[in-house]
Amino acid sequence: MKPNRRVTPYLFLMPAMAVFGFAVLFPVIMTFAYSFTEWNGYGAMTFVGIDNYVRAAGDTIFRDSFTHVLIYIAATILLEVVVGLILAGLVSVKRRGSLWFRVAIFTPVMLPMVVVAVLWAFVYNNDFGLLNAALQNFGLEDLQRVWLGDTSTALLAVSVVSGWVYAGFYMTIFYAAFNQVPAEVIEAARLDGAGEWQLFRRVKVPMIRNAITVALLLCITGGFQGFDLFYVMTNGGPYGATEIPTTYLVKSVFTFGNVGYGSAMAVVLTAVVVGLGLIFTRVNREKPEGARR
Amino acid sequence: MTVMRKKTTAAVAVLSASALILSGCAAGAGDSDDSVLRIAMGSPGEAQIRVWDDVAAQFEDANPGVTVEMNYQDDDLYQTIGLPNLLNGRNAPDIYFEWAGARLEQRAADGFAADLTEAVTSGPIAGLFDEEVFTSLTVDGAVVMVPHAADVANVLWYNEDIFADAGLTPPTSWDELLATCDALNAEGVIPIASGNKDLWAAGNWLAHLTSRVVGEEAYSAALSGEADFNTPEWVEAFGYVKDLADHKCVNESANAVDDNEGAQLFFQGKAAMHAIGSWLVSWAIDEAPDLNFDYVNLPSMPGEGNQDSVIGVVTGYVVNAKSSKQDLAAEFLALLNSDENVQAFIGAELTPMALSASAGEDIDSRSAGLIDMLETAPAIVLPPDTGYDLETANALYAALAEVLGGQTSPEDAVAGIDQKLG
Repeated sequence: MKPNRRVTPYLFLMPAMAVFGFAVLFPVIMTFAYSFTEWNGYGAMTFVGIDNYVRAAGDTIFRDSFTHVLIYIAATILLEVVVGLILAGLVSVKRRGSLWFRVAIFTPVMLPMVVVAVLWAFVYNNDFGLLNAALQNFGLEDLQRVWLGDTSTALLAVSVVSGWVYAGFYMTIFYAAFNQVPAEVIEAARLDGAGEWQLFRRVKVPMIRNAITVALLLCITGGFQGFDLFYVMTNGGPYGATEIPTTYLVKSVFTFGNVGYGSAMAVVLTAVVVGLGLIFTRVNREKPEGARR
Repeated sequence: MTVMRKKTTAAVAVLSASALILSGCAAGAGDSDDSVLRIAMGSPGEAQIRVWDDVAAQFEDANPGVTVEMNYQDDDLYQTIGLPNLLNGRNAPDIYFEWAGARLEQRAADGFAADLTEAVTSGPIAGLFDEEVFTSLTVDGAVVMVPHAADVANVLWYNEDIFADAGLTPPTSWDELLATCDALNAEGVIPIASGNKDLWAAGNWLAHLTSRVVGEEAYSAALSGEADFNTPEWVEAFGYVKDLADHKCVNESANAVDDNEGAQLFFQGKAAMHAIGSWLVSWAIDEAPDLNFDYVNLPSMPGEGNQDSVIGVVTGYVVNAKSSKQDLAAEFLALLNSDENVQAFIGAELTPMALSASAGEDIDSRSAGLIDMLETAPAIVLPPDTGYDLETANALYAALAEVLGGQTSPEDAVAGIDQKLG
């Protein structure tokens, strides 16, 4: 008799599915359900239809928070992915001490984000901070700012911290990808007279295109999930200049007890992130392999 | 594969799935009905934490088998995310810190405040407090909070040495305050330190200022949602906040640093004044023992309000209505307010509201003066964030911060509050 194995795999899958359902699916479904209610988290729940979505559409703070997060993402693509790529290019050129350089650049990734945020808030502090003190010592008093209290610098200041942390992370990804580039390709380019810069730009970078795509996707989706740096360093201030969707919806839910409205904003945020992810994937898939020079 | 073997494989799969699910359920099914008495609050500072821990130890000694678990959270965290999370989580606190006013009423409405009427009239807490104090702690005819301290939410603290060196006296009127700011700026000293990143620090101070201008009734009506903010009186009140910005009365970083960083400017002598509440006494004694400091109430303003009003709030402890240890909790609160422990709190620079506190001889003169000021105040103004709806308070605070930071005009700021609140 031939054994019937159709059910057995599903039984083995059950534990993982149960955990996934409990930790991911159930909260997602409940958040969607809450978004149609007015509820403070523990009292009576009132069904309000799509009122929370209408409110979100007319909420200028919520709309502005997307502008802020898009600026933050653009800055982090530069400060994390591009800088990470350049650093990876530098460390992949075998020189004495490159191991220590890699370790030093990667170290911030291992620090808890809240610790990083507190440290950098001190660096940026107008009255006691290291940055303004350093500028003063170098005779650059004109450049001194209330870095986290000035609407023109606060978002950039937070982005720089994010870059300081994650440039090392992306450097590691790109460094690993560079090591996968066949040695004979590198050798052939060298024989053709390519210098290190040409090797980097015309050979190595095009050959790790997939790794760069993944890094960009991680950076974009990770940017939308950004929270801890903003929460600790500026809490959305000054004057809402660093309010991003996550900080705003957390305030809405946990400070003001608007679970329904916060859930609606969470649903909108999720839809935007998923939408962007799909567009990104589609654009990337449609690009023919031979299009790269 | 034989039928037997197939069945065995399926059974193993089902068992492993069940084991995982059951173990997960077991982990999630916490039992809060145990012998642990849980107490939650914002961190009261090291000196008072030592007293609390000692009271907990006394209670454990007197009640064998009972463990007291203290949960000291960061103040801002506790006031916003912390307490609601704790109350709705597993192992919710049996006793928790709360402010009298709108917050307390909300807790009662949400079913998190036990009726303590019997405990304070004939139970273990009876006779420990002046009965009048329970008036503001009564919701729908039931006493729902045991008072612990009365906080003056804001006064103007000043560094006596800096003032003496500059030949200044503490300001008692609005014009004097602005003149003092100018004089201190000329000396290269920050006039008033403020750490307003979280909006409440300068928010309470400036809200008190606005109440002096628009009058207590108009202040309360606007914060209760019964009247608009966008009136000439409120615009005038915000105009005085703009004066503060124009005279550079506060540190440039005010809206970028938190209350702790703001206080450090005062503790380190970089700022001559600091606008914050009565809790500064124990804090300053802890962190800047050599600092010579005193306070004045907010200088009188040109306006409709009572110019001797005090902004303050009673704080205390609520017994969770969902706790199965309400009697035990009441006994703990009685022990907390026993003569011996009240004196211990006074030693930690906090003056409890229990009657026995007045028998103490070691109360810091500034703390005693603040209590006296609150008790004899002709008008008491509630802080927006504890006395009223938090979303309304936040809109007012944000508008005040914008004017203080020179970001917007009084007219636009006031109009913006109504717009934000819909």
